[in-house]
Amino acid sequence: MKNKYSVIGTRIAGLDEKDKVLGNVVFAEDFTLPGLIYGKVFRSTKASARIKALDVSKARSLPGVVCVLTAEDVPNNESVKNVVGQTTEVGLLEAKHQVLARQRVRYWGEAIALVAAESLDVARDALKLIEVEYEELPAVFDPLEAMKPDAPKIHGNNNVIASWKLRKGDVEEGFARAEVIVENTYRTPRQEHAHIEPESGVAWVDDMGVINVRYAAQVIEHYRDIATVLGVPESRVRVIGTLIGGGFGGKEDVTVEVFLALMAWKTGRPVKLTFTREEMGYARHKRHPYVLKYKTGATKDGKLVALEARIVSDAGAYVYLSPWVLIYSTVHSTGPYLIPNVKVDADSVLTNNIMTSAFRGFGGMQVVAAYEAQMDDLAAELGMDPIELRARNFLKKGDVTASYQEITSEVWLEKCARAAVDALGPKSKGGKTRKVGRGLACAWQSYGRMTYLHDTSNCWVNLEMDGSAVVRTGIPDLGGGQRESVRAIAAEVLGLNVDEIHVISTDSQVTPLSGTVTATRALYMSGNAAKLASENVKRIITDKAAEILGVAADKLDLKNHRVVVADDPKTSIPLVDAIKQCHFEGKIPQSLATFRAPFTEPISSDVIKDPVFPDFTFGAQAAEVEVDVETGEVKVLKWATAYDIGQAINVNRVEGQMEGGVAQGLGFGLMEDYLEVDGVPWTWNFHDYIIPTSKDVPDIKSIVLESGTGKGPFGAKGIGEPAISAAGPAAANAVKDAIGVRITHLPITAERIFFALRDKSDRQV
Amino acid sequence: MGKFTFFRPTALAELLDFKAREGGKARILDGGSNVLVYINEGSIAGGALVDVKSLEAIKGIEIRDGLLEIGAGELIADIMNSDLIRKKMPFLREVLQKFANPLVRNMATLAGNIADSSPIGDTIPPLLVLEAEVVAASAREQRVIPLEEFFTAPGKNVLKDDEVILKVRFPLPEKGRGGHIKLGLRRGTSCSVASVAVWLVADKNKVRDIRIALGGVAPTPIRARKTESPFKGQSLDWDKITELSETVMEEVRPITDVRGSAEYRKQVSAGLLAKAVRQALGMEE
Amino acid sequence: MSERNDNGLYDICITVNDREIRGKIKAETSLLDFLRENNFTEVKRGCDKGDCGACTVIKDGRAILSCITLALQADGSRVYTVKSLGSWDKMHPLQQAFVDYEALQCGFCTPGMLMSAKALLDSNPKPTREEIREAISGNLCRCTGYQKIVDAIEAVAKGEYR
Repeated sequence: MKNKYSVIGTRIAGLDEKDKVLGNVVFAEDFTLPGLIYGKVFRSTKASARIKALDVSKARSLPGVVCVLTAEDVPNNESVKNVVGQTTEVGLLEAKHQVLARQRVRYWGEAIALVAAESLDVARDALKLIEVEYEELPAVFDPLEAMKPDAPKIHGNNNVIASWKLRKGDVEEGFARAEVIVENTYRTPRQEHAHIEPESGVAWVDDMGVINVRYAAQVIEHYRDIATVLGVPESRVRVIGTLIGGGFGGKEDVTVEVFLALMAWKTGRPVKLTFTREEMGYARHKRHPYVLKYKTGATKDGKLVALEARIVSDAGAYVYLSPWVLIYSTVHSTGPYLIPNVKVDADSVLTNNIMTSAFRGFGGMQVVAAYEAQMDDLAAELGMDPIELRARNFLKKGDVTASYQEITSEVWLEKCARAAVDALGPKSKGGKTRKVGRGLACAWQSYGRMTYLHDTSNCWVNLEMDGSAVVRTGIPDLGGGQRESVRAIAAEVLGLNVDEIHVISTDSQVTPLSGTVTATRALYMSGNAAKLASENVKRIITDKAAEILGVAADKLDLKNHRVVVADDPKTSIPLVDAIKQCHFEGKIPQSLATFRAPFTEPISSDVIKDPVFPDFTFGAQAAEVEVDVETGEVKVLKWATAYDIGQAINVNRVEGQMEGGVAQGLGFGLMEDYLEVDGVPWTWNFHDYIIPTSKDVPDIKSIVLESGTGKGPFGAKGIGEPAISAAGPAAANAVKDAIGVRITHLPITAERIFFALRDKSDRQV
Repeated sequence: MGKFTFFRPTALAELLDFKAREGGKARILDGGSNVLVYINEGSIAGGALVDVKSLEAIKGIEIRDGLLEIGAGELIADIMNSDLIRKKMPFLREVLQKFANPLVRNMATLAGNIADSSPIGDTIPPLLVLEAEVVAASAREQRVIPLEEFFTAPGKNVLKDDEVILKVRFPLPEKGRGGHIKLGLRRGTSCSVASVAVWLVADKNKVRDIRIALGGVAPTPIRARKTESPFKGQSLDWDKITELSETVMEEVRPITDVRGSAEYRKQVSAGLLAKAVRQALGMEE
Repeated sequence: MSERNDNGLYDICITVNDREIRGKIKAETSLLDFLRENNFTEVKRGCDKGDCGACTVIKDGRAILSCITLALQADGSRVYTVKSLGSWDKMHPLQQAFVDYEALQCGFCTPGMLMSAKALLDSNPKPTREEIREAISGNLCRCTGYQKIVDAIEAVAKGEYR
């Protein structure tokens, strides 16, 4: 499709990239202030216990220690909400979190006290002087066990903290009609974000008494949480978000900011806190591990007739975003397929394991492991081509899903699937001990936040006298190019070059709040807000130029620093002339615009029968792997990923998201598992928790398709989360193709394959 | 963080005297890679950190009296790239190419890997099948320790507190080819789940001599002599290799840890051995 | 040889990006700590254990992990960080290629990645894609999937930036 735009839709080299390769960017931990002191967190070494006694006196009196804080020192210790972002919680749940453990710890690594000292060495020594006496309490680590009535209770009276359902048609009747039924129970891993930059930040109280926190934040609106905990007005807390060294949802919930603000506020000194890689392992939330029991029925001609699923997620020791993650799972559980009879029951269950919360895919990812394995096995049973079976069942624009949401954009899944499979090229040969297999996975993933949250995003654009522009947006940038996107959009609308647009971002008191960088909403929301603001500015200019040129304003366009008549580009005036005239008449070329996502009512019951998301992105991934049948080792040979992203803003960036999603998803499928044994962490750093290196990821072919039917700016759809969901399942299907055995427990490690080959079935290890 | 001191000797005698005084509290850095990790973890609380990079006495890769000698201070990257190793011992080059990643290879040494005495030290099984020896020195004496007798338990060896490794050496084999298979959890830098090394002297696939060593399947890296016997004198084809390799399962005593179960390690060692033998024979996979 | 002074600290002098940097440090100070404390914050700390490669610098011509190198081991050495490669007006071909090919997203692994790439091309000017992947296998990236990093390094090796 020929690109009809001047700036967007091309491969844009961003200005932020230049700063990054030069080593100029001041990441969170790189920042310093005079008089800086260093924070450390004292953490529980029990998974479930009552704190009988806590003595910090020796730590407090160590020379060089500036403060030691416990729950007693926190004004509102139990006020941190589970739901984050610019709206307050909506719906069923009230969750109790504690900033510092007061009487009870519920997971190994839970924060009990904070230490701030003149040096990191002193802070570490002070941690060793804190004395704590535990009384161990009964614990539960298996969510299926935790659901039982006599299981130890983590909070309140019920460990099941969220339940969602899908009900459509009559599954009994559906299965009665089915000529082929596939039934399996799948398990997906507890995945660690493993962003290379640790959680980190610096906080200080400035000369106006405002508590400043400069940290790697996916959500700058956390200034509200800080204010609540400290009991100060929200207007007295300022969050400055840094360029983030990777987030993926790991810097979405509260990380260091509340601890930092407490220590800065109590001591009056600037404080720095950085989590160690080990702390990132045992003290930060993970992706929910799931158990998914799926039963899928189809008729001989490959039409799906029924789906019954039972889904259980491990919510860990605190609720955080588990109920929302479960909504995503429930809505996406059918896969991008039209199924007439659906019965899905999903529960999220507390345990004494590490907390689980947001991670790229947000519940939409785990279900792909189930539904794409089911489709593959069905195709095998029916003797049907994997694409053909899926193509007979893909959703289409206008269809209504099992959660009663109409699909309002194009569904180019068949195009994506064929493109991905074709891009693999000729099949590799293998050898006597090496079996080659290929797998396909198709997926859907929403973009934009759940619509009952009433999401908004603000942006302020103004033109300078010389025709350059400034874009002010609160949106954080975690590496996905959020800042570069708004720059490109403003450049497109205003007829400027990207390097004439300065983007100032991510400051809760200086830039208009644009919302979180989560839920694949950044381009959709902040991009649309930037477009809206830019168009408002353009209108101010074209209205003025219309008077000057004597033509109707809607006939004018901004191109290459001029205001031109669109049909007759020779008729134009310089942009700066129009700007000057605007100023002279007091019509300043600036605009603060708010973009609103669709606003819907809250989900009315635990059976989801309401539209929940603005839209979905559809795509496919295809993998070729080689399995060594003597050891079970998998070598990934080839990969192709194809997505309809509506309209690319920056083609480089879209491909980058797709390729990054492949690697992170491949890890989920083949090697990553954050392990705990009886709540005690086993894999808490990069030594034991392994993620793909450059030798584990093959060359990836990225196919970017543009239907132009997205709700984002210029018809764009989001890609951040969609890029990852299909990857692990594609690898799983490729392994099945190679060895003829379905392994239902992800990650598919060499050991699991080894025993599957010997047992000719899946041994649950 | 405890009380640490730093010492950089410029002559071997200086180092040995220092070691005689400080004993186990003095830690040789070599590439240094593991020592700082232990310090950060808190498992080393204090002592002397000794940088031996200026020491000529522990440098050098040469052949002397039929022995290929590698100084303790030689970086793995340099060993791999040395002309002598390329020409005379390409097997060792192939082994070292799989060691960790290029950054670690620029810092680590063979001696360091040996002194660390991990059951999964990747350089050790290949050195075992080359029948390597460790030349250790103290202010008292110099002695030669066969590598097969060097390890006593995970992380422990027979070196005395006042001893340092001077060099690692092995007889340059006149005949034979090596095979080395490492089983990791990913293609990139990976701690081994298990590994097998083989040195095979064969005449048209009839075994004249074979040496087998494994890592990751016992408290220390082991030379699997019991498994070697059935191979001797046999004419090897694919099926024969598979059959004979299975006996290794009786010689291993693996544990279950975060990287794999004992059962997996035991069973997969047979396949790893078969692969290593086939590699040594140049058989197509 | 470093003498310990009365405070238990050692004198050190490392030439970093062609500038002599002196200090008095504890024995156990890592090279990474020393660099960052002397404002070379472009060298990143990702794990402090040598597992991620974010701290990669070039010391005496070799790419190494500064977090598990003692600073005193580098006493008297020449160390180069990413800031030695280029400037806003004159970027190193690798830096320009990384920008053009979008071989970075969050940019946190990038300083270390660039130093590994530089070390590779210094010793092997025409690497294969497989050799490139091997050379950067000690540098973890969570954002890019490595694809464009390999593309960018290959482009420089093929002479696209002469």
